[in-house]
Amino acid sequence: MEEELMQIKNSAVSMIIDAPNQKELEEIKLQFLGRSGKLTLTLKEITKVPVEKRSEIGKLANEVKRTIEKTLEEKYFTLKLKFSSLRKQNVDTTAPGIKPAIGHLHPMTQVLYEVVDVFKSIGFQAADGPEIETDYYNFEALNIPKDHPARDTQMTLYLDTRNSKVNPGEIILRTQTSTMQGRVMEKVKPPVRVIVPGKNFRYEQVDSSHGFEFWQVEGFMVDTNVKLTDLFGTIEYVLQKLMGKDVKLKFTTTNFPFVEPGVDTYIQCSICKGKGCSFCKQSGWSEIMPAGMIHPNVLKAAGYDSQRVSGFAFAIGLSRLVTLRYQMNDLRLLTNPDLRILEQF
Amino acid sequence: MLAPLSWLKEYVDITLTPKELGEKLTEVGLGCEKIIKTSDDIIFELEITPNRPDCLSIIGIAREIAAIENKKIKFPELKNFLKPIKSLPLIIKTDSSINPRFTGIIISGIKVKESPKWLKDRLVKMNQRSINNIVDITNYVMLELGNPIHAFDYDKIIDKTMTVSQAKGGEKFESVDDITYHLPKDAVIISDKEKIIDLCGIKGGKNSGTYEETINILIRVPVEISNLVRRTSQALGLRSDASSIFERGVNANGTIDTLKRTVDLVLELSGGEVASDLYDIKVQDFKPWKLKLRIDRLNQILGITIPTGKILKILESLNLSPVLTKRIIEATIPTYRNDLKIEEDLIEEVARIYGYNNFPKTLPNGIIPTNEIPYFKDYRADEKVKNILKADGFSEIYTYSLIGEKDLPKEINSQDLLRVDNPVSRDFEYLRPTLKINLLKAFSQNKSNFEKISLFEMGKIYYGKNLDEAKEIYFLSGITNSKNYFEVKGIIETIFENFGIKDNPTKYIEILDEGIFFELNYSEILKNVNFNKTFKPLPKYPPVLEDLSIITGEEIKTADLISEIKNQSSLIANVSLLDQFENSRTFHIIYQDKNKNLTGEEVAKIREKILHKLKEKFSAALKE
Repeated sequence: MEEELMQIKNSAVSMIIDAPNQKELEEIKLQFLGRSGKLTLTLKEITKVPVEKRSEIGKLANEVKRTIEKTLEEKYFTLKLKFSSLRKQNVDTTAPGIKPAIGHLHPMTQVLYEVVDVFKSIGFQAADGPEIETDYYNFEALNIPKDHPARDTQMTLYLDTRNSKVNPGEIILRTQTSTMQGRVMEKVKPPVRVIVPGKNFRYEQVDSSHGFEFWQVEGFMVDTNVKLTDLFGTIEYVLQKLMGKDVKLKFTTTNFPFVEPGVDTYIQCSICKGKGCSFCKQSGWSEIMPAGMIHPNVLKAAGYDSQRVSGFAFAIGLSRLVTLRYQMNDLRLLTNPDLRILEQF
Repeated sequence: MLAPLSWLKEYVDITLTPKELGEKLTEVGLGCEKIIKTSDDIIFELEITPNRPDCLSIIGIAREIAAIENKKIKFPELKNFLKPIKSLPLIIKTDSSINPRFTGIIISGIKVKESPKWLKDRLVKMNQRSINNIVDITNYVMLELGNPIHAFDYDKIIDKTMTVSQAKGGEKFESVDDITYHLPKDAVIISDKEKIIDLCGIKGGKNSGTYEETINILIRVPVEISNLVRRTSQALGLRSDASSIFERGVNANGTIDTLKRTVDLVLELSGGEVASDLYDIKVQDFKPWKLKLRIDRLNQILGITIPTGKILKILESLNLSPVLTKRIIEATIPTYRNDLKIEEDLIEEVARIYGYNNFPKTLPNGIIPTNEIPYFKDYRADEKVKNILKADGFSEIYTYSLIGEKDLPKEINSQDLLRVDNPVSRDFEYLRPTLKINLLKAFSQNKSNFEKISLFEMGKIYYGKNLDEAKEIYFLSGITNSKNYFEVKGIIETIFENFGIKDNPTKYIEILDEGIFFELNYSEILKNVNFNKTFKPLPKYPPVLEDLSIITGEEIKTADLISEIKNQSSLIANVSLLDQFENSRTFHIIYQDKNKNLTGEEVAKIREKILHKLKEKFSAALKE
């Protein structure tokens, strides 16, 4: 009897799926579930089944019945919604639409693609480099020798050198994507226009605006006549494209050993609209893009003649840009894989 | 660095409002983080960059304000040292390679007591604790002028001998604030005949400090070597106001003025008299240096033409004594501006006082480089693959590269992973060898809120048991509980088709308790990627379609059957599995001839061949 029930289920389901219209569906329903339908008749024979097996068979029969009913119901629904029948029947079209089950790209990815696009429009190509990096490219080539106090502002995560030929302290997790200045420039002659998106690592206590892993987009260009006004103009162009025409910026002087003059870019905090909040440390402004004219020592280390060419460099705090863009008040939201967050993007 | 407005006003006239001043200071490089209003004052909290040790003093900040306001600063009035009436003996043995300058003087007959109110108030505003008049004066003058000062109890110096030397390592030293340190090798110290009395540039010793019973003092204003102070301070995890200044480079020419100012205040507030000649031990003269600035170069780098008169005025306001000859300015750099070493440094000086926010903005001209750069990354590829996953219902996550030992599954041994020596916490100590760990975590985190979960991540994984073998590779992994095995396989097949990869997805898919998981070496995919597509003209003649049901052993692999069917004729355009039940499989076969209509006989022949081959190879038979 079990086999019989399974056969009924299989043939009913396949017939329902193939049914071209509602009329036929009604017929199929009768054929199986009607008073003299196949399932009904089969069930009448349950008395022939030994008593101890009856409850098992009963369960199976119920399941078969439910499956057939469910399949019927679904098929009714699809047939009803077929556009050809929509007009004929009185369907309530104000009910919500049925959304396709597509996923969501991470907000970081979405903003990163925009960043890459904006820079492409002004001739910058994207490069990708190692996260496990040498002290040389992370510091020395950027005019930050050993014992330089600027190293304190970029607390480094050092990799365990045991069982290797590497000297302690020589290989680190990069603290900045600026490492790629040295790597790219030593391989090509100017003009160069490069951006380097990537993850950086620092020994940093985590809070709403700091993390020990964060994303940056480094950028630099070198040519025969690159000027400070070009840097200001490029920053404004890029941030207007990314944050809207009426974005508020200000530039300040700062010091990074690999640039001179050094520039820092602040964007009005989008979370508090400049009023001051915990994310912007009550200042109303958020540091977004440290930058400057590339220091002659960096150009020299790359084999460039600093009297003939000049350049600028900048680093966009991508994680911070994303949070400001979507008014997220905590950087940690970006590494939280909660679908309730991701589905908003 | 804190800077009370009332104190700044002693050295410079200020016309800007506190808010304007804060903004202007930030623009010129002294990041104003807070403006604190107290009952009787306004205090600026400034972030000083490592290149400006001079701004770790009130006079240094006043100089910056003078440049902003285009005013002159008023330096405190200093008296010359009086000739001593009596002279107390002292032998100083020092070495200029570890202590470039030792400036000092002995004062006798002082009275150590509480500081006057004005001095205590100032220190409170600077977040400093008042100790006694002598210690307070040394702190005060350091905050005022930027040169650290230490006062020794002269009578506690055994044999009246001070020797500057370097620690061998391991020596015990108790500081004035009652903490005992074990000194690292090469720390610069001062010893008398018996004991260490000073950890130079960082902290004084408890055994020679100034206390109530002190009558005679030696005031020392040194120049220390930045690197040596920095290394010792790092090794001990010990920072002081003095060490911050020395690390960044002290004003080597400021020791005499600082000593004069200190002596003036000591004599005024504690009595006593000068009891030695001035000690000023150095081998080098610390003179201001000259720097050239080409006006044309300045205008070229900045991209604007600042009138020469304006440039000179700015440099003048910074006390850089500019002299113009034929479009070249020669500036004289005071010793407190250690940060000004090259022409570009002077260009920044002009630009920042001119005001970055007063600059016009331009976009770079010049040729756009067209050759592919080294390390080039094509983000369009990432976008393509992520869009395929997105379209299939997968959502993207970003997780940390660093994981903890407790996250590791049994089959992964932490010994085999790259490790961080100084992790922020044990939870983030190892570089992940797979994306699976974080994906599974993310999956279970979502379980309470979602029934259907499909997640993916594209990110680096890190290989190698040690740094010699270290490798970082992009992986693309996903997990889903709402798709079956073949749907996931189909997604990967789609990715491979789009990327021109010929590979079998089966080995990248794993069936877990939670769902279907896949892990692809994305770096490898990018190496072999081929986005080239060639259009194939549509067939002119109709295909013949047929479904063939075959009975064969269930252990026979469908892939083998399909490839065997295909092998039988070049006229078979495609074979797919339509249905499968127990030992029966139905294949959908498309026969197609580019050049003519296929006849029934031709198809029958191929069918025969297929059935023959399948019988021979797999003992398969046509289902009746």
